[in-house]
Amino acid sequence: MTALHASPETAKSVTKDAPTGLPFGVSPWLEAACGDYAIKALSVLSLIGLWYIAAARLPATIMPPPHTVVEVLWQEMMSGPIWTHVLVTLRRIAIAFSLAMSVSLMLGFAMGMFRAAERFFEVWVLTAMIVPSLVLILTIYMVVGLNDMAATIGAALPVIPIVTINIWESIKSVDTKLIDMAKVYRAEKMRIIRSVITPQIAPTLFASARFGLGLVWKTVLFVELLGRSDGIGYQIQFYYQLFNMSGVLAHALLFLIIMLILEIGILGRFERRFFHWRPAARRL
Amino acid sequence: MTGNGQGTQLRSRAASIEISQVTKIFPDSRGGALKALDRASCSVSPGEFVCILGPSGCGKSTLLNILSGLDESYEGSAQIHGRPVREQLAAGFRVGYVFQEPRLMPWRTVRENIEFALRASDFPASQWRAKIDRCLALVELSDFGEFYPLQLSGGMQQRASIARAFAIEPDILLMDEPFSALDELTARRLRQQLLTIWMAYRSTVLFVTHNAFEATFLSDRILMMTKGPGRFCDEIDLKFLTRPRSYEDTQVFDASRNVVRRLFDHVGSLDAEDQTQLSSARSAPALQNSTRFVP
Repeated sequence: MTALHASPETAKSVTKDAPTGLPFGVSPWLEAACGDYAIKALSVLSLIGLWYIAAARLPATIMPPPHTVVEVLWQEMMSGPIWTHVLVTLRRIAIAFSLAMSVSLMLGFAMGMFRAAERFFEVWVLTAMIVPSLVLILTIYMVVGLNDMAATIGAALPVIPIVTINIWESIKSVDTKLIDMAKVYRAEKMRIIRSVITPQIAPTLFASARFGLGLVWKTVLFVELLGRSDGIGYQIQFYYQLFNMSGVLAHALLFLIIMLILEIGILGRFERRFFHWRPAARRL
Repeated sequence: MTGNGQGTQLRSRAASIEISQVTKIFPDSRGGALKALDRASCSVSPGEFVCILGPSGCGKSTLLNILSGLDESYEGSAQIHGRPVREQLAAGFRVGYVFQEPRLMPWRTVRENIEFALRASDFPASQWRAKIDRCLALVELSDFGEFYPLQLSGGMQQRASIARAFAIEPDILLMDEPFSALDELTARRLRQQLLTIWMAYRSTVLFVTHNAFEATFLSDRILMMTKGPGRFCDEIDLKFLTRPRSYEDTQVFDASRNVVRRLFDHVGSLDAEDQTQLSSARSAPALQNSTRFVP
């Protein structure tokens, strides 16, 4: 009797339960991808278009058109010295970024997990966030001296509070229900941290890293402009003082391209690979 | 019947449960206290399917948390198979827990989620595949092991969590209103499936619900709880209902009417406010009881 009764319901429910969020067939996916690329191309083209419009309305000394800037950039790239400056700046970014991320991770984890640490560091973090970056950087230059160490610390410092707050919040919002589940099934503490807590905060950690990188490269240019005699920031400052806007924009453009490649090409790909289990928010 | 073929492969070490004079008090944020359990006592024999039936906020889940080792601060004694919960869990007794929500890790596939529980329960990796395949088959999810939970419907996710609970071959299976978040059709099918698996496996089950029909349909015995503070107030033996049970069986239906009547007899002894709370069958927040402070 039960078997007879169960079978029609079984059939019904299996179709009803069929998964809804699967990757769709290949051809609509391709279409979607092409659509994406078309939108991206349009977006870049309209940016260049805006630049042309601005260039047409302003004197060439103030706002040179894109092709002039590209030409200047090409000459710089061929003649060589720009590459040393790029490398110097990239090195500073790498060091400042690692510094900022490791301090933020330690602070964020401590503040998210221990109430005492939270109470203690909250004022520090808020203070560091509210004090203007300019003041922080100038103070570091004064205290540490006009050298490379001061530059990297100065570039990292304004980024730390912002990234710390991100990490701290993400740890506080960890789902304790999953932790309870893991405890019921007798998982050890280390395993819970590794398999239950870390994957939950990984998306935020990753977003924080991207965000941190975006901030660090701005602060690095800033510290170079304020107190270094090499690097892209210094070059931009140099050409600015010569009133050579083509030079300023050419350096900025090269860096923009490098950072875009880093952002989209490496970090973006990495993110897609790691978080494929998450349904895309845009499906909403 | 259906599951007996698989039953021979499943280990059966059903354990008994003895709860005696358990009192649990939650401090609230204003310095007061809420008594969730008040000298609650009950016992479950090995292999028995017992439902705890009671209104929301009567301490049913608290009891499960104590038995699963999640909650270790309480008065009284909670024992699994003659020894305190803590000792018994340390000695390797296994508790399966099906929560109200599936509680699957969304970044792991269904199979990996079950692997997590098997690894935590110290099963050798060589056995995982076979065990998982068998449990997924029991809940009819054989084709969905490599899917991520968010790709599945709510009912399928809950089935996966039932598969996880059975995969570790639990000595005790605790279920905390596992079907209350599902639509009635899905819930019915899952109840039937649960009984089929349980009949093959025969572990001790403690199933918490506020649904009188569900309790009647599933259990050998119903333990009724009243709220504020929670304690057991009645017991109904349902072993006379033959298994396998069916939804169409008038005997089950009559028995459930009797259960509802008995339940209302007890709830009626509470104030009118609580009664409306129950009859509207809404899940009231646990703090509902906070009017009854403990000095």
